[in-house]
Parts: sequence; structure tokens; C-alpha cells
Amino acid sequence: MALTNDPREAARGRADNEAAQGTALVTSPARIEIPDSAPSDDDLLAPFGMEEHPTGGFHGLLEVIPTKADLVIDLIRANSLWPLLSGLSCCAIEMMSTATSKNDIDRFGMFPFRASPRQADVLIVAGTLTTKMAGPLVRLWEQMPEPKWCVAMGTCTTSGGRFKRSYSVVQGVDRVMPVDVYVPGCPPRPEGLIYGLLKLRELVMARRGQWRTYVDRGPQRVAWEGDVR
Amino acid sequence: MTAVDPETRIPDPIDLDRGEEARLRAAAGLAPPSAAAGSEYAGFELVGVPDRPLQTEREREMYTLEEGEMLLNMGPQHPSTHGVLRLVVKIRGEMVTDLDPVFGYLHRGIEKLCENATYTTVLTYVDPMDYLASMHNEHAPAIAFEKLFGIQAPRRAEYIRALVVELNRVFSHGLMIGFLALDMGGLTPILYSFINRDDVVELLAAISGQRMLFNFFRVGGVNWDVNDEFLSRLGTWHGTVMKSIGDNEKLITENEIFKGRTRGMGILSGKQAIAYGVTGPNLRASGVPFDVRKAHPYSIYDELEFDVITQQSGDVYARYLQRIDEIKQSLHLIDQIMDKMPHGPVQAQVPGIIRPKPGRAYGAVESPRGLYSVYAISDGGPTPYRFRMRDPSFISLQVMPMLMPGHLIADTMAIMASLDPVMGGVDK
Amino acid sequence: MRLLVERFPETARDLWTDEDTVEVQLPRDAVVETLRTLRDDPEFGFFMLADAAAVDYGIGHHFEVVYHLFSDRHPAWLRVRVPVERANPRTPSVTSLWTGAMFHEREMYDMMGIVFEGNRDLRRIYMSPDYRSFPQRKDFLLPDDAADSSAAGVNPLERPETWDLTTFSRELTSSAATYPPPDTQVDVPAEAYPHGQESADKSRPA
Repeated sequence: MALTNDPREAARGRADNEAAQGTALVTSPARIEIPDSAPSDDDLLAPFGMEEHPTGGFHGLLEVIPTKADLVIDLIRANSLWPLLSGLSCCAIEMMSTATSKNDIDRFGMFPFRASPRQADVLIVAGTLTTKMAGPLVRLWEQMPEPKWCVAMGTCTTSGGRFKRSYSVVQGVDRVMPVDVYVPGCPPRPEGLIYGLLKLRELVMARRGQWRTYVDRGPQRVAWEGDVR
Repeated sequence: MTAVDPETRIPDPIDLDRGEEARLRAAAGLAPPSAAAGSEYAGFELVGVPDRPLQTEREREMYTLEEGEMLLNMGPQHPSTHGVLRLVVKIRGEMVTDLDPVFGYLHRGIEKLCENATYTTVLTYVDPMDYLASMHNEHAPAIAFEKLFGIQAPRRAEYIRALVVELNRVFSHGLMIGFLALDMGGLTPILYSFINRDDVVELLAAISGQRMLFNFFRVGGVNWDVNDEFLSRLGTWHGTVMKSIGDNEKLITENEIFKGRTRGMGILSGKQAIAYGVTGPNLRASGVPFDVRKAHPYSIYDELEFDVITQQSGDVYARYLQRIDEIKQSLHLIDQIMDKMPHGPVQAQVPGIIRPKPGRAYGAVESPRGLYSVYAISDGGPTPYRFRMRDPSFISLQVMPMLMPGHLIADTMAIMASLDPVMGGVDK
Repeated sequence: MRLLVERFPETARDLWTDEDTVEVQLPRDAVVETLRTLRDDPEFGFFMLADAAAVDYGIGHHFEVVYHLFSDRHPAWLRVRVPVERANPRTPSVTSLWTGAMFHEREMYDMMGIVFEGNRDLRRIYMSPDYRSFPQRKDFLLPDDAADSSAAGVNPLERPETWDLTTFSRELTSSAATYPPPDTQVDVPAEAYPHGQESADKSRPA
């Protein structure tokens, strides 16, 4: 199996890959062979000298699982999403409540609320975003290293909420930065935030091994350009 | 959808820092960039200086640096500041010489929104003001509107109001203790505080339906009567609350490190506190027995027995002790309220859209942070003509430039946490 | 209330009272001296400034600065109303009496544009320094939907012209922080502006 970090290569398939690199002149599509039955675990594991143990688990000469490094790294990422310790207003209290004893998102590997954006994976925008705070918040977002995710917590951050008519409130945080998960509620209960973060984990798992394409989603700050004039 | 002219495009904040430092330095009245200009650290000490000409006398005093001084910017995103408070600190070595708080990062224009909302919906808008004391936020406008409208809430409603605001006070003071310890590096007390807080908000959710922004008060009463779930939760909580408070007390009160870092820190005298408009526990910790519940009794507080608790020393430790004492006082008040609570309706007869006669009314309550008051003007229409809220933590933060000089940087956070500001109330 | 009439026969006007408030109106020139007497005289003893607020009575009318005072010798709040001209919104600062009036006055300046003479830190406190409107005035209309309204002052983030850092100090350096500027100020009732369609902000660049 070719180890590659580029998901586009992986997606195109071997034949296209060779064609793109000029190593093969034939560009006709590869033949598709439909197997009679799905290969069993034993067939897959046999080349590595492994077999499935009757009581579960794998036993064999070589106790490794062949895979792509990206898949493993993203699996680790999905299970240790570290949020940024950044609260804007009311929702921040519920965010803290989510982190402390009663609700305890340490169970999902999400507890260490990092004080520095350089060490954080998830930006939980907890509370009303005002126009004065928008600049610093975008700056925080840009200081976070890729891959990074954004959770909009509360109605104010999803749409402006009860302050939508105000003269100083940004009507939805998605006007200034991309958002991955919206958690409605004013404020959402801690269970709601946990559900949102688990949804984010599902999203990370669904994009396993593809975060480069995920990063290539275009310019980050397009929201207010020509948006409302 | 029109494209944005590149000339008027929003400048990137990073560009502002790196590219225009010479111009900004000149604007700020500082010396031109030093030999470090062009290096990676050029303009580093510029952090915190406003990127514009200085406007006022006080601003020039604050942002003009002498030899050996530098500015340190904390916030608006800072792990220790409560919310989006930004402090620009002028330091000489480790010693703070001056301080300028910068507000407005959470300004949502609540007063303006309230002037465009009907009297009933105003009570919804004021909830996120001081978001650790939502019940008090609703209490003051309810009092003011009832004066405007000339109605009286039923007695049972008044008792329920007093009950929920005292419950709110318990968890608000409890969280202050946790935050104070957290800002000085102790992580455990905040866990105990949040256990207590989650118990109380579930209790209040049982009666109001919401965990945090309760929206429980109505003009002329309250939304719901007490129910079975509330009463059973109250009984359970009442049996355990002293344990969680006591756990915190055991950890903190006689802790040598805590005492060493809080005694004699940020001493605020009673006269200074009055001059600066400080109210609430911070004022009482300085020895001034001012409590709105006694000074201008509202609701049913003239029927309850309690004394105004004061401390003498006025330092951070006294403000901590004041909170502990007030929690115990609130529990005592809750006992009295539950004993005396009469039967009856909880909501007066009020029309759907309230149109009070033209007039003015002032309603003040004692919130966990001090005097929280509402000044409402009616012009006879369905919305208040002017709706003004006085938030105690906004005014209390004025003492910081006076308290901080002479203390170390690490102590600024302890002093700030002892004032217990909530940025939702500060910025409205 | 009787004391007020006895002690300030010339200045105190429009006395009024309800169940827990005594209200008095003072002229702008006498406010500092009268408040000093109210604070220091043991007969009054209004030692605490509870609140200071500004009220806008609309275009063609006046502003008003309202102080609420607390005394431990009288069973009522004292409300002092000070009218301020709309064309020249200036009034003396009371920071010499209560240092804590500083933030109150900064807020009133930010929200209403009232200039307090003698306040040594009069700058915007909530809005960013380059903001050019005074949001709590009655001619500042909230749009019904800010997204497609032409109302000025809404969401400076979406109006990049407000980010021009050279224009922000105009209102302070110019003569009086009047808003709208005196040359464009006309006495039109507020109803003349249809909501959301036509902005009352004349200072908005075309």
C-alpha cells in the first residue's frame, strides 16, 4: 500500500496517479473486479502472519495494524479535541459548567481548556460577539494552528439571537469565521454543548485522513467582504 | 452583493501592528522606533498603546512612558480576566504603576433594545446583563414598572421573588470564591463552587424552566408558583449546601498561602469606596453598612430579620470573608422565607400590553455585586421611553486604577477577582 | 422636600414626590454647588451618588442629566434633574464631588454625546474610539433588520469606511461634540423618519 499524505492521489486511484506522473501511458480506466465475497479478516491478516483469536483480539507474529499515518493521527485528534479557554459572555459560564465536576467533558478527552490559542484545536465561541470583539476573536482564530474547528455556542453566535437588532452585535459568528458545529440555546445546557462536541468528533472522524482537502476550503475571512453593504 | 474596494478594505490587525508602528508611535507621542526597528521584536513594547492620537488628560498620563516603564496588555481574551475585560497595565519591573481598564467588548446595546421593546419583553432583555445574577436583573425593572403602572404584586409572589433572588445570591457568591481562588492558582475550589452552582441552577430551572437566563419575573408577579420538584430539590440541596461551602472554607479560609496573598492586598477604605461609588459586598467589606435591603426595603425585606454584615479591613481577604458570611445570611433568609410564605395567587391581573401613565420610576435592588437600579420613564406608550440600568460592577471597576499601583502583576488578578466584576453587566 | 424649598428657594424648581422619591430640577450652572451642599450638609447627608443617567427628549427638545442620590437621614431617594441644551450639550462634571461619576459621565458621553466640562477622562467607553454616532439618542433608529437597512451606525464591521483611523477624533477636536453637526441639524419631529428606510444620521458619508 502506498503511503501518501495527499488524499487527492488516493482518491484518483493508482492508474490515474501513474498517468499524472507520466509513468504510464495508458489512460483507460482500470478494470473493476467484483469479488464473489468480501474478504474475511483472516485473508487480510494472513500476509502479516496474524490470525483472529477465538476470544477476540489479534494474535500473531506481528502485532501491528497497517494503515495510513493520517488516519491514526486523526483518530487521536478526534479523541483529544482541546478547546480554547475563551468565553465571551453568559455561555462561558455554562461552558465552565460543562468542564467541571457535574458534566465533566474530560470523559471525552476534551478537558484541558488551553489558555493559549497555539495549543488549542477547537474554538468554542461562547457568548455574544460584538463588533468591537470581532477583531480580537478573528485574531485568536488565526493564531490557532491547523487543523482547527469552530463551535458556535448559543443563539447569539449562530444568528445574533435576542440581540439581532442591536447596533453593536455581529449577527452570527459565521460572518467572520467558518463554523463547523452550531449549538442552539440561550444558553444551551451543558448536555447540549457535549452533544455538539460529540457531533464535532463525528465530523472529524468522517474527515479522517482528508484534512488537507478540508484545509483547502478557500480563504478564511470572506464573510464580511461584500456581504452586506 | 458588491465587491469591496481594496482601498476601503478592513486592515488586517497584524498589518496594523507590524507595518504602521512608526506612525503609531509618532501619534502616541512616543520616541521613534529604536534600533530594534526592522527586527522581529520591533514595536513589541507598543502593545496596548491606542493606535490613534491620545484624547484626554488621563489618557496622556497613562500612555506616556517614563524611563524604565512599559505597558502590558491583558485581554480581552485572557484566562484570568472574567470575560472580555481588557486591562492595560503600566509596569516598572514587576510593579504596577498605573492601569487603564478598556471596556466595550461585550457592549450589546441592551438599553436601546429595551427602549424598543414592550414592558413585558424588557424583562427578557435584561437577563444577560449580569449573567450570574439574572434574578436580580429582573427584579429591579419589575419593581420600577410596577411603580409606573401602579400595581402591587401579590404577597406570595413577593415571597417567591425573595426566595429566588436569595438562591441566586448564594451561587453567585459561591462562584466568586471559586474564581478568586482560581485566579490565584488554586483549581479545586472552583470545582466545589460549580457543584453548588449546578445544584442551585437546576433548582431554579425547576421553577422557571431555564438554567441560567431565567426570565421568571413578570410585571405584577412571577411566572410560576413553587412546584413539587422545586421543593424536593430545595430540601436535598439545603441538606448538602453547607457541606460544599464548608469544603471551600476548609480549603481557603485558614490557608497560609491564601492569607499571605490576600491580607493587606488592595485595601479600600470606606471613604474611598463611597467616593468611587462602590456598593454591595465590596463596600460592606470596607466597613460601611450600606445594604439596599435595609436602606430602602423593597419586596418583603422589611419583614425578615437580618443584620447588615460588615468587615473592617477592606482588603481582598475581607471581601472574601464578606461573601462567605453573606452566603450564610442568605441561607438564613431562605429559612425564614420558607417559614413565612403565605398562600395565594402569584400574579396580579395585568393586561397583555401594558401602557402605564406618563411618569418616572426608580427601582433599586441589592444584587450580589451591589446596588442594581433601574430608572424608567414612560411616555404613555407600550414601550419605555427611557430605560436606564445602573450596574454595580461597572462602577466598582473604577477603583482598580486606584487600588493596583504598588502591587505586583500577579496580585492584580487577585484584586480584580475580589471585586467580582461580571462583564455582561459592565458592558451592558 | 421642605428642606429643599427652604434652602434653595431660587434654584430648586419643579419639586415632585412619590412614595419613595423626591424629585427636584436644578439649572445647569448651579448643579455642582447645590450637589456639594446636598452631600456635605449634615441636614441633607446625601453622601452617595447612586446613579447618573442621561435622557434624550427628542429632536427639538432638550437632554437631561438625572442624578439619584442616597442619604441615610431621609427615607427617600433624591432625584436631581438637570436640563441640557441639545444644540450645545455641555454641563459641568461632578467628578470633583464623586470620583465615581467618571464612568457614568464617560458612558453618557459615549451614548448621548453630552460633554462634561471638567471631566479629565472624557472618551468613549463602550464603542470603539472611531465610532461616530451616539446610539442612545432618539434620532438613532434601530433598524428592523440591520442586514438590509441603510441605518448608519449599525455594525461598523460591515461599514469599512468607519475603520478610517484618521477621522475618529474629529468629534472631540471640533468645537462641540454636537451630533448631528450644527449645520445639518434641523428641527424635524422624529416621526418624519420612516423606520429603516431613511437614516436620521446626516453625518454618514454618501
